[in-house]
Amino acid sequence: MAVIGIESSAHTLGIGIIEDGKILANVKRMYPISDKGMIPMRVADFHVRGVRKLLREAFSTAGMGIEDIEAIGYTMGPGIGPCLSVGNITAKTLASKYHIKIYPVNHAVAHIEIAKHLNKFSDPLALYVSGGNSQILGITDEPFKHYRVYGETFDIGVGNMLDNFARAAGLKPAWGSSVAKLAIGGHYIPMPYTVKGMDFAFTGLQTKAVGMLKGSSPSDVAFSLQETAFSMLCEATERALALLGKKSLLVCGGVAQSQRLKEMLQHVAGSHGAKFGFAPDQYNADNGAMIALVAEKMLGSGKHSYGIEDCGVRQDYRADSVEITW
Amino acid sequence: MAMKLMAKGSEAEVYRTSAFGIDAILKDRKPKAYRIKELDESIRSARTRSEAKITYIADSAGVRVPNVLFAKRYQLFITYIDGSQMSTMMQQGKRISKGMLVQVGKYLGMLHNAGISHGDFTPANILIDSKGEPWIIDFGLSSISDSIEEKALDLLLMKRSIDSASYAYFIEGYSSKARACKIVLMRLSGIEKRGRYNERS
Repeated sequence: MAVIGIESSAHTLGIGIIEDGKILANVKRMYPISDKGMIPMRVADFHVRGVRKLLREAFSTAGMGIEDIEAIGYTMGPGIGPCLSVGNITAKTLASKYHIKIYPVNHAVAHIEIAKHLNKFSDPLALYVSGGNSQILGITDEPFKHYRVYGETFDIGVGNMLDNFARAAGLKPAWGSSVAKLAIGGHYIPMPYTVKGMDFAFTGLQTKAVGMLKGSSPSDVAFSLQETAFSMLCEATERALALLGKKSLLVCGGVAQSQRLKEMLQHVAGSHGAKFGFAPDQYNADNGAMIALVAEKMLGSGKHSYGIEDCGVRQDYRADSVEITW
Repeated sequence: MAMKLMAKGSEAEVYRTSAFGIDAILKDRKPKAYRIKELDESIRSARTRSEAKITYIADSAGVRVPNVLFAKRYQLFITYIDGSQMSTMMQQGKRISKGMLVQVGKYLGMLHNAGISHGDFTPANILIDSKGEPWIIDFGLSSISDSIEEKALDLLLMKRSIDSASYAYFIEGYSSKARACKIVLMRLSGIEKRGRYNERS
């Protein structure tokens, strides 16, 4: 029997189907982002209009139907409320209509778990970098088994910062890929660098970089911004790796699509004798497969079951509040 | 000059050596391959300079710290202290006396009075010598500022690292010295109420 997962925390509506850890389908539909950002209700409307078609697409890709589904997972949070509600309502509707088990899944945990699963790591240190989040996490058993947050951003996520800069520079905001392109051939200009132990902050850097667009070469600014931001992430990650002595390091989340960041983290892992891993891009971007994967693990552990009434959305659902039951 | 690697942290490598015939450690900030040369050199040299300067200010303020013998661009030669880290003693179940904790608290108060926030004030950065005297080490992440927040974070790190009875002695020492004690403690309880610290435990 298979497990289906629905992801709708932000601009991507994703549906994945998994059976025994094997990904059978991972389809998605992304709200076209304009230079003005996202209006939550419009994105939610977009997801509502697309969800039936995407469900059919997922089933036909996997070559199965709803009768083959044993459990359904959906993203409970963190994310944008109206968007989360679309996945939540879809999951609850399917669960009650077809009498399928339902599991609320934490989005951040799902990003880590899919990268961990695809790399076959058992106990990695994870750098989770996306638009809204930037955290360094690792599993600990005290006081219950969960992902402890060892370091995180004091203000905004690194992806958000790169997007804000991209908009100011007249580029398309896309997890830093447009900034990376602009950075090619750029030269280094000193910028604010803020790391406190294993935590870091990005707004000072963003303000400075946006201000420098007037009067400096945009390519130099983009290059320096990217190098500074990623160096901050690497320093904090290296400190956590040295402190905890974990044997593997992975990077996940939307910004993990960046080649430069992966190249830098490879050095960090190598200098501490740790293995380095990441998932293919389709799983770093938001996706339904990771939600299905975690739902399958929750089902497999059998520790908790959830009624329809337990299943809501939580915009501020933190990874470190989730009990890891598998 | 014979050198023996004592510790390899994420920030620097520490060697046992001697300088001018004095037992010393060498703290060497090695290049990081992940970052570009310009950024790498600027971070390493700025932190080396800052650590030397703040260690000197701490010494002038009467805090027991090892002396910086001399500084190079990325390297510091510091007097060697024969002692154990308080964190190691705690792991080994050795008793940390009230007197030591009160003294550590006093030293942090004196650092704060001198405008120094330590930045990594944990039992791993407190050495206890053979006479039971505490030494404050590693000013690599320290800063000079008026920030109440940074000072409160020094207390928070310590509070998370030792048991509540020990913390009470530590605070007894701290409040006997720190001029801004009241406002720093208020900020500390503010920090602890913030959402992000609740689930981070």
